Amino acid sequence: MASENSEINLIIDGKQITTQTGNTILQAAMESGLYIPYLCYYPGMKPYGACRMCVVEVENGRGTPASCTTPVAEGMVVNTDTQQIQDLRKGITELIISEHPHGCLTCHRTDINGANLCGPEDICLRHVSVTDRCVSCPKNERCELKDTTIYVGTGLTTPMTYKYRNLPVLNQDPFYDLDYNLCIVCARCVRACDELRGDNAITLTERSGISLVGPAYGSSLLESGCEFCGSCIDVCPVGALVESDYKWDKAVESTSTTCPQCPVGCQLKLEVNKRGKVIRVIPELEAEANRGQACFKGKFGLDFINKRSRLKSPMIRRDGALEDVSWEEAMSFVADKLNLYKGSGFAALSSSRSTNEEAYILQKFTRSVMNSNNVDHSSNMRPEVTEILGDVLGYQAATNSIWSIEESDCILVVSSNVTEEHNVASVAVKRGSKNGSKLIVIDSREVELTRSAKLWLKPRPGTDSVLLGGILKVIFDESLEDQEFMNARTDNLDNFKNSLWKFDLKKVQEITGVDESDIRTAARYIAESDSTSFIYALDNLNDAQRSESTRSVINLALATGNIGKNNGGLYPLRSGTNDQGSWDVGCVPHLLPGYKNLHDSAARASLEQNWGLNIPEETGLGLKEMFPAIITGDVKAMMIVGNSTNFSNGDLGDVLESVKNLEFLVVQDAFLTDIGMLADVVLPSVTFAEKEGTFTNMERRVQPLKQVLEINNTYAMPDWWIITELAKAMGYDSFNYHCAAQILDEISNNIPFYAGIKYDRLLSKEGILEPAGIPNFPIPSQMIPASGGRNTGIQWPCLDVQHTGVKVLYTNIDDSNKFSMQSLEIVDGTSVTTKEYPLLFVPGRVLHDSDDVKIEVINNKNVIVRDEVLQLNPEDAKRLDIGDFEMIQLESVDEKLTFQARIVKESFVGVVSSTTLFGSLITQLDASEDPDPMGNVPTLKTKAVRVSKQGS
Amino acid sequence: MTSFDEIYSKSKSRYQELESGNKPWIRIGTAVCGEAAGSKEVVDRIKSDLRSLGVDANVSEVGCIGLCYAEPIVDVIKPGGPRIFYGNVNPDIASEIVKSYVSEDDYRPDLALAAMSESDVDGVMNMKDLPMWSKQVRVALRNCGNIDPMEIGQYIATGGYAALDKAVNSMTPEEVLKEVQDSGLRGRGGAAFPTGTKWSFLARSPGPVKYILCNCEEGDPGAFNDKGILESDPHSLIEGTILAGYASGASNGIVFIRHGHEGPINRTLAAIEQAYELGLLGNNILGSSFSFDMEVSLTGDSYVAGEETALMESIEGKRAMPRARPPFPAAYGVWGLPSNINNIKSLSYVPEIIAKGGEWFAGIGTDGSKGTAILCLSGNIKYSGMIEVPMGLTINQVIYDIAGGTPDGRKVKFLQTGGPLGGVLPDEKMDVELDFGAMSQAGAILGSGGLIVADERACAVNMARLLVAFCQYESCGKCFPCRLGMTNLIEILERVSNFASRPEDLELMTNIGQNMAAGSLCGHGQLGWNPVQSALKYFPDDFSAHMEEKRCITGQCAQQITTPQRTRSRWSPVQLLELKV
Repeated sequence: MASENSEINLIIDGKQITTQTGNTILQAAMESGLYIPYLCYYPGMKPYGACRMCVVEVENGRGTPASCTTPVAEGMVVNTDTQQIQDLRKGITELIISEHPHGCLTCHRTDINGANLCGPEDICLRHVSVTDRCVSCPKNERCELKDTTIYVGTGLTTPMTYKYRNLPVLNQDPFYDLDYNLCIVCARCVRACDELRGDNAITLTERSGISLVGPAYGSSLLESGCEFCGSCIDVCPVGALVESDYKWDKAVESTSTTCPQCPVGCQLKLEVNKRGKVIRVIPELEAEANRGQACFKGKFGLDFINKRSRLKSPMIRRDGALEDVSWEEAMSFVADKLNLYKGSGFAALSSSRSTNEEAYILQKFTRSVMNSNNVDHSSNMRPEVTEILGDVLGYQAATNSIWSIEESDCILVVSSNVTEEHNVASVAVKRGSKNGSKLIVIDSREVELTRSAKLWLKPRPGTDSVLLGGILKVIFDESLEDQEFMNARTDNLDNFKNSLWKFDLKKVQEITGVDESDIRTAARYIAESDSTSFIYALDNLNDAQRSESTRSVINLALATGNIGKNNGGLYPLRSGTNDQGSWDVGCVPHLLPGYKNLHDSAARASLEQNWGLNIPEETGLGLKEMFPAIITGDVKAMMIVGNSTNFSNGDLGDVLESVKNLEFLVVQDAFLTDIGMLADVVLPSVTFAEKEGTFTNMERRVQPLKQVLEINNTYAMPDWWIITELAKAMGYDSFNYHCAAQILDEISNNIPFYAGIKYDRLLSKEGILEPAGIPNFPIPSQMIPASGGRNTGIQWPCLDVQHTGVKVLYTNIDDSNKFSMQSLEIVDGTSVTTKEYPLLFVPGRVLHDSDDVKIEVINNKNVIVRDEVLQLNPEDAKRLDIGDFEMIQLESVDEKLTFQARIVKESFVGVVSSTTLFGSLITQLDASEDPDPMGNVPTLKTKAVRVSKQGS
Repeated sequence: MTSFDEIYSKSKSRYQELESGNKPWIRIGTAVCGEAAGSKEVVDRIKSDLRSLGVDANVSEVGCIGLCYAEPIVDVIKPGGPRIFYGNVNPDIASEIVKSYVSEDDYRPDLALAAMSESDVDGVMNMKDLPMWSKQVRVALRNCGNIDPMEIGQYIATGGYAALDKAVNSMTPEEVLKEVQDSGLRGRGGAAFPTGTKWSFLARSPGPVKYILCNCEEGDPGAFNDKGILESDPHSLIEGTILAGYASGASNGIVFIRHGHEGPINRTLAAIEQAYELGLLGNNILGSSFSFDMEVSLTGDSYVAGEETALMESIEGKRAMPRARPPFPAAYGVWGLPSNINNIKSLSYVPEIIAKGGEWFAGIGTDGSKGTAILCLSGNIKYSGMIEVPMGLTINQVIYDIAGGTPDGRKVKFLQTGGPLGGVLPDEKMDVELDFGAMSQAGAILGSGGLIVADERACAVNMARLLVAFCQYESCGKCFPCRLGMTNLIEILERVSNFASRPEDLELMTNIGQNMAAGSLCGHGQLGWNPVQSALKYFPDDFSAHMEEKRCITGQCAQQITTPQRTRSRWSPVQLLELKV
């Protein structure tokens, strides 16, 4: 028997081919540029063998096996195009089109090669006038079935009786249009949902001739456990599953760029129609960061680019109202004003979607022009999760790549709502769990990943760090630690071990409410697995607890030897899209670009020399200090780039109220947001689709933004341009940048670990395949290359222009620089509850819930109707005189909600919890009037509440 | 741990008490065939009569002896008296029997079907002379109708589990495997693959957890022998499965039964439980180091679930759709672990093979097909039922000598064998021997053993249409050629039946059929063309009459014909939508 990964030689259609063991004939053929027609096969999915289009003949083999399911064997001789095979394929396509509407083939204006001869103003067979495309099917010109039918040379019609299914188009669910009349039951969508996403929201329904796809029992997608990622749409070969918006629009161009919605940094193809609107978003199949996946935010949430409410011109507040002005006027006005506020009275904030270049240029502007270190990015809410990481290990970044999570034997997720906030990373987690990785979730909320978890530890809110300490204690008590690794690479072991004595398991159980046996099981899973990935966002903890939890997680990784390992490592989750990049380029008050300390005078001096400008020494104010400083009058003028959810959700206190105290506020944004309404000057900036730049994702991968659209009908400009022009207007001619790539060059000159990262390297040169151009055989629409080619990313540290980046950090053992084990403390879980609001509300959200979910159709849209349930402890219920199933009211500072009470013994005293359905969130987002609703997806935040009987 | 000898002697003494004690022993066939004919009422009447007459007798509900045409069957053995079978018993006849024979000594030759005894019984035909019985050699069916399937003791007393004891305590797995290989046993599920070879594949797969799957999906119309065995003698299957596990190093057995077959399900579940109680299943079977566990898994209502890979999907709780092969089950089976799928009949032979030796088994039957054939006879025949005859008998012998030909002496037109995918065999081909090779040469398959006889009143077009209708209805819907091919095929056949065919239909049908045969993923689609193909081959006149003369020779297709089709259930998205709007 051939060993794994050995090579195999075979002959396909007379061509000698060498391929890997385990490949199928189809894969081997594709690899070497031979095409075998297929409809159900899809790269990345398991062999299925349903459509039988890919049948081949194997010499000395029996019958006509499907090449997508037949593994290659040494010396195999395969013929893919004999007369028998051709006839068989024709026969099958005839069968398919006997029930698939095929007006596209029989139209008198379609020629035999499938070329569409219809042009504008023609009258179509549907008796409508054609605008710019065939209007017989939404998948027109991208349909794999049509292309394949023509490729195999089937006549344009079928000798069988044509049987139209006559089913209504299902368009009640958000974002999706399902026309099962077009379905060919290849089950790609079902397999995508199962194998690629791990959700199983849809299945095959019915049997024999009426077999179709859809949610089980005919439920709606809202209640089926669908996360509206659009994966099924992307893989559909025909027009059965399509995006509702711009369904009939034809793309004239598509460009690959980086998604601005979260730190995963998915590569997306944005399709643009002839009117310059982004009509469709298709995730890149071969992108390293997302591997063909996207999420509801990326797939359906980028329509803000097209919104009419975009800001069109700079505005200056005059007599209380914002007035349109020209750029020249706005610039000289702002320059004059800012000249008055140089020094620590000025603060600047970049946004979570600011590119590396913009974050860099903003901090340079603030430091050298405004002479202030008060600069930060508005999503920098949880600096502890990475700062301590940097202190202990060296870099403030994830140690490994996103998709190596899938290969981990054990995955620990600590208080992170990955599915909603870093969606595609959760796909790697779920796929790992499905393939047998042990998934442990530590979360007091019921988040989506708990469904896939092998072990869900549910600590009392705010006690995560104690629980993690308990797990560490077990590891050392039971001698499960990786002693070899610890001896070689760690120090400070004694202090650390002494600090563990505090975590007596009985006490840990008492504090956290988690069973001792579960803590032991978790510890054994983590320590006994070959590799463990640690994912932590540490939501809903205060700063001290977050620091302590981070230390524990790092200790866990060190104790189990999961540093410098291929499939095990640390993944701190930050919330902003480009938080990693913002930190890297020094858009934080206390660090200069490249994590150099502000007070390191040598570093400062070298930067001053490079810039030719001075940098103040005085420590600056961070995000959380700026707004109080406005109230005290220490900060008088501010420049805010982009709107942030943190400004309005109370995380930072009442930001909108405090900025009213500013003497001068400049806001740069694409829309007139609530903070923009309070500004003295509003400068219109462009969206991610209209500018160039780079984002650094959660796995340190620097990926490019490409200009997808021309900037139309507006005077909006990229943020980096605005800041550059402003500096020039203030007399700083050294701010002489004419493109983002030039700024990136400056970044890479100043930051050693960015040294080899150049904009043109990220586009389509080294490290990636050149786009092949649209080939002359049918391919899935997701694989049609973007017109501008594919992008690549480089994972820093990238030390020179030959270096291809680093996948796994800390693989080299450095004896002089050992990792220091962190001593731990039991940190009090101080509660956010008050006398007025004495209970802690813990929200959760799940994809699927079998209980009490009803669907109503309102305005032709499916809406979930159910009594939301609030779980509370019997003790609290008794005190509040609330009975089971009673309707109750929950009040917090800013909202009032009605629930049905469920008294649950397992609930903690003083904690009430509720779980909403993900489908409800999607309905809200779909119906939202907000130009950019996905940017403000409500997070699952615990908060202080009070509960009372309804009506009382 | 009690040794097997102790278990045996205890069971034996209890059984002897029944068989030759001082009380009459009444056995009533209550398998599905008996039940359908009214055996439950007979049991009730017998019990109440015994009470009212104050007669002390043992009453057992046994399985199916195979003489389905004579059900309900009551079998009475009396101390000193002969063992008499009474056929077609209704409660009134049952009362007569109790009154005359059980409580007195009149064995009522007028009601008796046959007597089972060494010497002849006056006025009653001896079982040995009964046409349906005389040619039978009962190996797998040895206990059917004789013992109470719910009593493990009766199975043990009649020689059961001795083979297991012998195997685990005095033979190596290799020896057991060799015995089965020597026997020449071939799988009875349809493909006729040598059982020993199949087991040897599994034996070579890496352990420690491996599965033996027993397939009792048995959805073929006209086949009821798997259910018959499970209902009448589940322990022979269990013993066979454990032996298969021992020989191939498997640790688990799963009996896969179609949902709704209540008799087989309940009796198998009970039998497994009893086997566990006696230490015949579980850890360290009979004191050996061999451990084996068994459970029952149920399918949904799906014919394709009987396909080996679909069956594994179904056990895993998924939709019963075939997997692509390779990987084959011996490498990647249920839950991705090495598995081996055997038909119930194949496994039920194994205890006897081990007990009596492979050579003994190989002595029965023909060169290419050893052992016996277990057949289910139904259709236009005199005696329907389940029989076991040596391989090598001709089909004619089975139909005329055993089943008594057609009830009213009409000419047999064709035979439908091996399930709906097996096709039809015309009268003139029926001198073929029961032999896997000879049968397939004649264009039929022995398959699962169902033989449906049709006399000259049957229309071949109608038969083909009905068989395709079944196949279409039961297609799992996965692969395109089967899902769409069957749908179009049935549509064309319906046209032919309704004399509305088009000139090109014959060619079109052939094209579709050949594409299905060449392109389908599993046997269901690959063989789905068989019934039409063989009907076309042997009865072209039937087709040309329909297609050209627009008439049916037999008159069967006189009325407008519609074929039952699946409809979207209440739960389909579309219907639900209609409900909502």
